[in-house]
Amino acid sequence: MMQVLFYYMAAVTVVSSVLTVTLKQPVYNVLALLTMFFHVAGLYVLLNAEFLAVVQIIVYAGAILVLYLFVLMLLNLRSDARHMHRQWPFAVLILGSVAAMLVGAFAGGGFGGEIGQYSTAYIDSLGGDTQAIGLTLYTDYLLPFEVASLVLLVAMVGAIVLTKKGLVDDQVED
Amino acid sequence: MTTDFIPSNYLPVLIFFMIAAAFGFVTIIMGKLVRPQNPYREKALPYECGAPPISDARQPFPMRYYIIAMLFVLFDIEAVFMYPWAVVFNDIGIYGLVEMGLFILVLVVGYVYAWGKGALEWD
Amino acid sequence: MIELSNYVILSAIIFFIGVLGVVTRRSIIVILLSIELMLNAVNINFVAFSHYLQSITGQVFVFFTLTVAAAEVAVGLALIVAIYRNRKTVNVEELDIMKW
Repeated sequence: MMQVLFYYMAAVTVVSSVLTVTLKQPVYNVLALLTMFFHVAGLYVLLNAEFLAVVQIIVYAGAILVLYLFVLMLLNLRSDARHMHRQWPFAVLILGSVAAMLVGAFAGGGFGGEIGQYSTAYIDSLGGDTQAIGLTLYTDYLLPFEVASLVLLVAMVGAIVLTKKGLVDDQVED
Repeated sequence: MTTDFIPSNYLPVLIFFMIAAAFGFVTIIMGKLVRPQNPYREKALPYECGAPPISDARQPFPMRYYIIAMLFVLFDIEAVFMYPWAVVFNDIGIYGLVEMGLFILVLVVGYVYAWGKGALEWD
Repeated sequence: MIELSNYVILSAIIFFIGVLGVVTRRSIIVILLSIELMLNAVNINFVAFSHYLQSITGQVFVFFTLTVAAAEVAVGLALIVAIYRNRKTVNVEELDIMKW
C-alpha cells in the first residue's frame, strides 16, 4: 500500500514537473506546477511531515502560485511558438554532474548518518511534528528565524520599490 | 535506518480525494455518454441575453493587485511561522514571546513602509 | 518498504527537470517556475533525510527554504513586471543588452 502511494506520488510529481517545463501556455505551466505541489505535499505526509504538507499547500499552492497567476494576468502574455532555445550541451553537463554525484553517493555505500532522537514515536510523544518543529526552531535556530524576518522585510521593500511606478500610474501600459 | 511509518490518520483524506476525483471523472464521462449530441450553427450562437464577445477576456490588471498579493504572500509566511510557535508556547515561555516580538517588529517595519508608500491605498 | 534512496533519486530527477527548464526555456516566468521546481526537489530531500535519520532539523530548514522561495517570488515577479514595462517582452533572448 505504501509503495503504491509512493510510486503514484513520485510518478505524478515527475510527470507534472515535465509538463511545467514543456507546456507552451504559461497558465498551463502554472497549473501543472500546482499538481506537482499537491503531490509533493502527499510525499510529505508519507514522510510523517504533516505540518509541512499543509504548509506546502497553504504557501506554495495558495499563495505563491496565485502570485504567478496574477502576474500572468497582469502582463497578458501570449504563448510563443519558439518557446525553447537550444542549450543542450549545458543541460547534459549538469545532468552528468548530478548523475555522477548520485552514483558516487550510492557507490560510497548509500546514504547514512547519525540517527537523531526524533523517531516517529518520539515525535508522537511531543504531540506531533508541529510541536517538534516549534521546539527546535525557537530554541536552536533562533538566529536563522530572526534573519528570516529580515529576508521577508527586504523582499517586501524591494518589491514595492520595483513596482512603485505602478502605484502612481495604476496600469501596466501596453 | 528505514522506519516503517504509516500515516493511518490520513486514510480518510485519501478516500476523500479519491471520491472527489472519481466524482469529477464519472460526471463528465456519464454526461458525455447520456446527452444527445446534435450541434448546429444556430445552437452554437449566443442568444437571448448573450452577446458576441468583443475583446479578449484576459484584460490586464491594475498594478495594485500585484502589490496586495505580494504582501499577502509575505505575511502568509509570517503567519505560518506562528503556528509552531503557538503550539510550543508553554514550553518556551517568555523567551519565545520576546523572539516572536522581534520577528513581528521587523515585519511591522515593512508594513509601515508599505503603508507609507501608499501600497495599501485602494483608490 | 520505501528506501531513502528512492526519495533521493526522485529529488534528483525533479532537480534536473528544473535545471533543464532554466537552461532551455525562453520565458522568464517559466524560468522562475523551474526554480520553484528545484527548490521543491531540495525540500523533498530535506524532509526525506529528516525522516530517515530521525532528525527534525531537515524540516526546520524546509521552513527557511519556504521563506526564501516566497521572497524570491515577490522580488522576481516584481522584476519581471518592471522588465516587461520597459521592454514589452519576457523573452530572455531579447533581454541581452546591459544598457540602452
